[in-house]
Amino acid sequence: MNNLKVFLNGLIKENPTFVLLLGMCPTLGTTSSALNGMSMGLATTFVLICSNIVIALLKNLIPDKVRIPAYIVVIASFVTLLQMLMQAYLPSLYASLGLFIPLIVVNCIILGRAEAFAAKNTALPSLFDGLGMGLGFTWALTLLGAVRELLGTGAVFGFTLLPSSTNMLVFVLAPGAFIVLGYLIAIVNKIKK
Amino acid sequence: MEYILIFISAIFVNNVVLSQFLGICPFLGVSKKVETAKGMGLAVTFVLVIATIVTYLLQIWVLNPFNLQYLQTIVFILVIAALVQMVEIVLKKLSPSLYQALGVFLPLITTNCCILGVAILVANGTYNGQGLEPSLLTGVIFALATALGFALSLIVFAGLREQLSLIRVPKGMDGMPIALVVAGLLALAFMGFSGIDKGIALFFS
Amino acid sequence: MKKLESSLKNMLLVLTLVSAVAAFLLASVNKMTSSTIEKINEEALSAGIKSVLNVGADEQIAVTEKEVDSYLVYEVTREGNWIGTAVKSTDKSGFGGDIEVLVGFNEEGKILGYEVLKHAETPGLGARAGEWFRTATAGEVKKVGVLSKIFFGNPDPAGSHNIIGRDIAEGELKVSKDGGDIDAITASTITSRAFLNAVNNAYKVFKGNVSDVNSGATTQQ
Repeated sequence: MNNLKVFLNGLIKENPTFVLLLGMCPTLGTTSSALNGMSMGLATTFVLICSNIVIALLKNLIPDKVRIPAYIVVIASFVTLLQMLMQAYLPSLYASLGLFIPLIVVNCIILGRAEAFAAKNTALPSLFDGLGMGLGFTWALTLLGAVRELLGTGAVFGFTLLPSSTNMLVFVLAPGAFIVLGYLIAIVNKIKK
Repeated sequence: MEYILIFISAIFVNNVVLSQFLGICPFLGVSKKVETAKGMGLAVTFVLVIATIVTYLLQIWVLNPFNLQYLQTIVFILVIAALVQMVEIVLKKLSPSLYQALGVFLPLITTNCCILGVAILVANGTYNGQGLEPSLLTGVIFALATALGFALSLIVFAGLREQLSLIRVPKGMDGMPIALVVAGLLALAFMGFSGIDKGIALFFS
Repeated sequence: MKKLESSLKNMLLVLTLVSAVAAFLLASVNKMTSSTIEKINEEALSAGIKSVLNVGADEQIAVTEKEVDSYLVYEVTREGNWIGTAVKSTDKSGFGGDIEVLVGFNEEGKILGYEVLKHAETPGLGARAGEWFRTATAGEVKKVGVLSKIFFGNPDPAGSHNIIGRDIAEGELKVSKDGGDIDAITASTITSRAFLNAVNNAYKVFKGNVSDVNSGATTQQ
């Protein structure tokens, strides 16, 4: 029951993108299409769950003063692992996400959850926290990517829904990312109230 | 000539924040006042140039000869974290006044993705060098130009937000939403620079 | 279990241990995946060569690779008969950096096909090079203002932008703005110039006039 609460917390109440406003670089940089946004979200979820579990298990073995560098090593290892696996088995996705894959290391969500949750809890709740936060991040990125793709190219996940005469290219480009995210946050704020 | 083009391209055309989406967290987080934006811009410039030199040399002298390229991410982020700490300590001793100005921003810089991002781009040689071969010099010039682009967009954005705080905004859009829309308009303005580097290159050739 | 104290010995021990385990783990995974990555890169290249020479994906071909002045040239034979040559060519003046293309030529020197292998062009604009230069034409010309161009994209102008089947011996490929007859990608003249330049250079390498490539690169800005 408690684990369920932890899981739902990240999905809605403390959504990392719309509420906590963490990890903005990949949020804006990789959401030119719904598929890219979703892949980035899932990649981050993978790293988040793994690092949360490992840090929760190791927390008593790590002296307080060196905990940040130790956490960074753990996170960076999983990111590198992900990098190699994607390069080997999902090369086209790896190419389209590019630089943002190694940059998962500096995504504030991951170090933030390690500090705020995994360092104080046991492995199982940490897993659920990682899953909830990760999926919260994933649906936010997917939604943002879908809206941008729909407005910019008239398609969602590559399926054309709107005629090309309604395409507003600006939404696929950089300015559209900022503007769509701004309005989505406003809508989420409204719904939460 | 190419060096000037690198500057123009990295500052205006491919601005690191507004078109590459690196360093968004400080861009949104410390842009409420122009004064703090200046401090952050300066601190990032300082650390980015040093970090680029150190990581580039590490890549050339350690990672490449021993075939350890796959450790790039882990090594770079540790080096950057250590470097930021060292810069903090050295500044405290050597120049207390500079430390006062930059001190509060330094811990935030470790997780600024523009530092790690630029370090990786320069080490892999995958940045836009305007036709120049990747080397330490072009890498450092590119890093400096990128950092200046970051500082410029941050300071301009802080100026806009200072004005923005004086006017009434519809309640639902208040705070981050309206700031993001303004950032979008700023990015739109910077899109007007696109192609200008090629134009200048053509003009002088 | 009690938390370890922050003594110097403990700190050093833990950090070293954590890093050592991480390095060991990554080294073993790297060993595992590096061969797969290599294989995938090779497969991607051979699929690219087949595509630019109009060879079916499951047909058997033999490829001999040679390097001509930093350009990679792939001579392709099927059952002992030479069927075409693919040239890998890079242009550094793309909008976002290098554009790498693979161009296939038949014995008459006509372009059989091309693939954009690497690029960093804007999605929705320059990134369309992968399709643009092999599709023939688009519909009628509409007049549009600058603002609506940015917001609604440009309806593709009428005109030809297909380079498949072209023989560069009849004249270099140029965008219409530079006096050529190829329509640039909408709102992406820089990408189109870089792309066509890469294709032209590939042709020169194919014809064996490597010196032309270098002189061409310096005189044609």
